[in-house]
Amino acid sequence: MTREPATLDVPLVELVDRLLNRGVVLTGELTISVAGVDLIYLGLSVVLSSVDTIRRAGTEI
Amino acid sequence: MRLLLRAIVDGPDASVADDLGLRSVPGGRVAALASPWDTAGVVGEADLLEHHGFIQAVFERVPCLPARFGSVFPDEAALRARLAEREAELASQLARLGHRCELAITCAWRDTRAVAPTAIVPVRSGRAYLERGAERQRDERGREGRAEEIATRLLAELAVEPALVRHRTCPRPAVAVSMSVLVTRDEIGGINSRLERLSAQLPDVTTVVQGPWAPYTFAVSE
Repeated sequence: MTREPATLDVPLVELVDRLLNRGVVLTGELTISVAGVDLIYLGLSVVLSSVDTIRRAGTEI
Repeated sequence: MRLLLRAIVDGPDASVADDLGLRSVPGGRVAALASPWDTAGVVGEADLLEHHGFIQAVFERVPCLPARFGSVFPDEAALRARLAEREAELASQLARLGHRCELAITCAWRDTRAVAPTAIVPVRSGRAYLERGAERQRDERGREGRAEEIATRLLAELAVEPALVRHRTCPRPAVAVSMSVLVTRDEIGGINSRLERLSAQLPDVTTVVQGPWAPYTFAVSE
């Protein structure tokens, strides 16, 4: 198993995915920016989405 | 003072907070470990990695449930109240997961040309446009099928209970399979050996194993 240039970002993305989407949630509300991409928690921190996704969702949110 | 939740531990283990510069908030059989949080609004990658660092430091010392990044409480009383509501469920999860760890297995496509953003190329006709779209769909279906095959081989090689594995195929363009396995520390060496053997038989992906981490994927809000 090796790490090659094309996959150098993969480990960080996998970790960030877990930090943002997994783990126990009690409550919370926070706006964050990771690697230049704005991410937003809505309501009680269960919903996490990129700004683009939120904009596409429009009135559903 | 606002508090950012880092992890949940057994009540008697809460003293680990002192070594790590964290605040412990008791909640019956469990306790929350948290940090003062005065950051206004936007935070970044460094904050995420710091969160992971705290969780790992706790996890290396005592069994814990990692908190998803972003649980901020206005004060200790609010965290204590929320903890009291969830005490039984959190204690149950901690007993089930606290002594286990997560291995993250990622199979990334070696051929990055196939997953690079599609260049906008002018087409001469509607037919050419449709043919190009169809070709792209065929490629995507091919990758999805291959990713499923890789996942199946990984699962067979790991030979762990289905309840201890979560996986997604093609979660991102560069990734064929993203898998989380819940293991004991004693099992890590054997799993790494099996994955090393398997990865030699998967020429189209690079396999990366990360961990052991706290059981992020398996700690859920019920």
